[in-house]
Amino acid sequence: MKKVYIYKIFERFWHWTQALLILILMISGFEIHSSFDLIGYQKAVELHNVSAWIFLCLIVFAIFWHFTTGEWKQYIPTTKYLKAQFNYYIGGIFTGAPHPTKKLVYDKFNPLQRLIYLGLKILVIPVQVISGFLYLYFHYPAEGMELQSLEYVAVIHTFGAFLLLAFMIAHVYLTTTGHKPGSAIKAMITGWEEMSDEEIKERVISDIEASIKKSRAQLQSNVEIGDLFEAAMNKASLNAGVSSIADTRFKDAIENSGAGYFCIGKDGNYIDVNDTWFKLYKYDAKEEIIGKHYRLSRNKEDFEELQGNIDKVLKTGQIINHGEVKRICKDGSEGYHTLTMSPVYEEAEVVGVEGFIIDTTGQLLAEREMLKKQIRINDELDKKKTSKD
Amino acid sequence: MKKLQLSFLVAFLFSITSFAQTDVENVESDSITILKLRNYIMQADRDAKPSVDHSTFPQLQKEFKDAHEVTAACLSCHTGRAAEVMKTNHWTWDRTEKLDGREEVALGKKNILNNFCIGIGGSEKTCTRCHIGYGWENKSFDFSNPLNVDCLICHDNSDTYKKKKGGAGYPDESVDLNFVAQSVGKPSKVNCGVCHFWGGGGNNVKHGDLDKALLNCDRSVDVHMAVEGENMSCVDCHTTDKHVMAGKLYALSSENKNRATCTHCHTDAPHKDEILNEHFIRVACQTCHIPTYAKANGTKMIWDWSTAGRLDEDGHPMHENDADGNHNYLSIKGTFVYDNDVIPEYYWFNGLADHQLITDQIDTIPVQMNTLAGSYLDKGERQRSDKPSKIWPVKVHRGKQIYDSIHNTLIQAKLHAEVKGDSAYWKDFDWHKASVAGMKYLNLPYSGKYGFVETEMYWPLNHMVAPKEKSLSCKDCHTRDGGRLAQLNDFYLPGRDKNTLLDGLGIALVVLASLGALLHGVLRIFYRKKSTSK
Repeated sequence: MKKVYIYKIFERFWHWTQALLILILMISGFEIHSSFDLIGYQKAVELHNVSAWIFLCLIVFAIFWHFTTGEWKQYIPTTKYLKAQFNYYIGGIFTGAPHPTKKLVYDKFNPLQRLIYLGLKILVIPVQVISGFLYLYFHYPAEGMELQSLEYVAVIHTFGAFLLLAFMIAHVYLTTTGHKPGSAIKAMITGWEEMSDEEIKERVISDIEASIKKSRAQLQSNVEIGDLFEAAMNKASLNAGVSSIADTRFKDAIENSGAGYFCIGKDGNYIDVNDTWFKLYKYDAKEEIIGKHYRLSRNKEDFEELQGNIDKVLKTGQIINHGEVKRICKDGSEGYHTLTMSPVYEEAEVVGVEGFIIDTTGQLLAEREMLKKQIRINDELDKKKTSKD
Repeated sequence: MKKLQLSFLVAFLFSITSFAQTDVENVESDSITILKLRNYIMQADRDAKPSVDHSTFPQLQKEFKDAHEVTAACLSCHTGRAAEVMKTNHWTWDRTEKLDGREEVALGKKNILNNFCIGIGGSEKTCTRCHIGYGWENKSFDFSNPLNVDCLICHDNSDTYKKKKGGAGYPDESVDLNFVAQSVGKPSKVNCGVCHFWGGGGNNVKHGDLDKALLNCDRSVDVHMAVEGENMSCVDCHTTDKHVMAGKLYALSSENKNRATCTHCHTDAPHKDEILNEHFIRVACQTCHIPTYAKANGTKMIWDWSTAGRLDEDGHPMHENDADGNHNYLSIKGTFVYDNDVIPEYYWFNGLADHQLITDQIDTIPVQMNTLAGSYLDKGERQRSDKPSKIWPVKVHRGKQIYDSIHNTLIQAKLHAEVKGDSAYWKDFDWHKASVAGMKYLNLPYSGKYGFVETEMYWPLNHMVAPKEKSLSCKDCHTRDGGRLAQLNDFYLPGRDKNTLLDGLGIALVVLASLGALLHGVLRIFYRKKSTSK
C-alpha cells in the first residue's frame, strides 16, 4: 500500500474551513429558521453574519486559487464514465468491483463528483451568497433599492440550506467508499491518500501522458521541453511516493506511456532499459544492450556532452533536463529524442543515472517536411511574382 | 508556489482577525449612549425651588368670588396667554383634520365618537369636568371668553384643586382658590394625570399605559417616570410651544404632525447591535420597549353596553366588582372586562388614522372607531407620511355599543342628566328615548330602531417603557408559533414564517439523503460479509 499526495495545503485548508463554516452557518441558520433552539436567536444571527463574511473571504481566496493553479479544470463536467460511476455506486460497490475511475492528480474527481461539486460552486453557493446579501441588506421594504418582500429571498436561502445539508450527508457518507472507510477523510486531512498498486500505476501513466503532451506542445513552440518534462516527472514521482523511477510500478507505467526508460550504473554500463527504449534504439531485446557502455548511443561529438552530463549527475546528484539530442541506433541510423537524467540513490549515495527519453524523430521529420514544402511554395510564389514584374 | 500559497493563508487569517478586531472597536465606541437633549435638565442638575413665589403677589391675595376672577388675576400679569390657550385642542376640543384617504372633517373630543362613553354631545356637563374651562354645559358655551379659561387645572401645584363632578368644569366648592392661585407652577404629573389617567370614568380605564401608578412608580413600571430614576414629568416630553402640547393620541387625532417621539431625546440608532438598530426602519421603539401595559393597575379591555340597564329588586342601578375590585357590571354602562399586565396587540402604523364618524355608514364589523393606517408594503410613499409604516404595540379596546339598525350608523345617546325624565340613559335606562334626545341634540337622523354592534378602538402605546432587561427579545417575535406578531402576517418574518412546500421538499431531500446513505451502508456491510464468508 502506497500513499499519494493529492490534496495541496491550501486545498485542505479551504475544504475544512469551508466545512466548518457551512456547519456553523447551518446550525445558526436553522436556528434562525426556528428549526430548533440551541444557542439563542440573537447569538445565532450574529454568528451567522460573522461566519458569512468569513465564508465570503474564503470564497474569494478559493476562486483565486482555482484559477491561478488551474484546479478549476477539475470541475469541468464530463459524461465519460458518468454512467459507469453511477452504476458502480448502485451495483458494483456491493460486489467489490473496482472503482470505474481512478483518483489522479490531474483528475481528482470522478464524473459524479465533478458534476455535483460544480453544481455547488456555480449554483448553490452563489445562490446562497446572493440571497444572503439580499437578506442582509435589502430585507426591509423601504425607499431606494428594495425587495417587495423578504419572502422570496428567505425561501430560496432556506431551500439552498436544505440542499447543502443533503449534500453534506451524502458527501460524508461517500467518504467511506474509498480504499478504506476512513482513508478519504484522512487524505483530506494529510493530503496523502492511500492507494492500491493498480491505482498508483494508473495515476503514473496519466501523469506521464500529461507530461508528454506538455512536452510535445512545448516542442512545437521551440521552448526547452526538458525543463517542463522533468518538472512534471519529478512531481509525478514525488506525488506517487516513488523514490526511484526504477520502481516496478513506475516502470510499468512508463512502459505504457510511450517514453523510453534507461538506467546506467556508475561504471557507465546500462543496467536496465525498457521496451520502448531498446525499440527506439532499434535493438531486438534489452539483453543486447544491458552491460554495455553508453558511448554506443552517441556519435563522437555528442558523446562528450553526454559524458559530461552523466558525470555531473553522478557527482552532484543534480537532475538534468536535456533538450533534443541525436541518438545513434544499433544499425547506425539516427533518431532524435528529448532526455532527462536523474540520480539513482542507494543509501544516500548516487549509484547511477536514470531517465526518460521521448522520441521526437517523427515530429522532427514531419516538421522538416512541412518546412521544405513551405519553402517550395514560397519559391514558386516568388517566381511568379518576379515573372509578373 | 508554496510560498505564494502560504502568503495567501497569512493574508486570509489576517483578514479574519482584523474583522474580529473592528467588531470589538465598534462595540466600544457604541457603548456611550448619546442623548440629544435640548431644553431638558437632568434630575441631578434640577433646582426644585421655583424662581417666582406667587404667594407674595397682591393680585392673588384678594378674595376670589369665583374661579373666573382667578383667571382674570392670572391674565393681569400673564397677558396674552389666554389667547394662546384658546387656540389649543385642550380648549377647543375641536380640530379640523384631513382623514386618511378622505376629506377634511371636524374632529376633536367635541365631535368624535369612541367606544367608552361614546361622545360628549348632550352630556357636556359631566364630560367637561376635564375641559380646561369653566361652564361648558351645552352648545351655548362661549369659547371666546378668556375668563372661561381654567388656568388652575394645569398649573396648580398644591394638589388641592379639583373640579366638581357634573359641574361643567367649575371647581369643587371645597377648593381654596386663594391657596391654589398662590401655589401655581409648571404642570406636574398630577395635573395631567387627573384627566389623562382618569379618563373614561376610572383610573387607567382608557389608555392602559397612563395610570395613577406613574405618580409614584419604580423603574419596572416606567423607566422615565420612576421616582428613584429621572422622575420625569409629562411635560418633559410633551413640550409646549405657546401652550400647544407636543404629542397626541390617535383616539382623537389623524394626522402625522407635532408628535412627541422617542427620537426627540434618543438617537435613531441607540443600540450597540447594528441589527437591532436596523429594526427601527420598520419597528417602533415602543414595540420592544413596552412589553406589557397596565402593569400596576388594570385597564378596561371590553365594554359591552348591550347589557346595561339591569336594575336591582328595588329598581335602583347597581354595580358588581371583579376580584381585583374593578367594576365588571354597572347598570348605567353595562359589562366590563379589565385586565392588567396586558400583552399589546401589534399593528402596522404610519402615523395616520381614520375615524368612524357619527355620519359614516358602518361597513365593517367590528366597527373600527379609529383605523390605524399602515401595512408592510406602505413604504412611506404616502403624501402625508414620509416614513414607512412601523409595527406598533396597541391596546385594542373592544366594545359593543348602540347603533341605528336602519340607517346603519352609530348613535350617540344622551347619557347624563341631573334628574330623571330628561331622557338621559343614566337616569331613565331607556335606550330609545336616550337615542332620540342624543341624536336630536346633534341634529342627526334616528330611525327609531337600534341595536348593538361590536366596535374596536385602537390606542397606540407610548408609556410604561420597561427597563432594557425587560424589553422584548428576538424570540418573542421570531418564533414559529404563538409569537407576539402571530397575527400580523402580511409579511415574511424570519423564524416565524416558512414556505411549507419548499421546507417540506428540503426536509424530504435531507431524509432521503440520510436514508439512502444508511441503506447503502448497510448493503455494503452485508455484501462484504457475504463475500468474505465465501
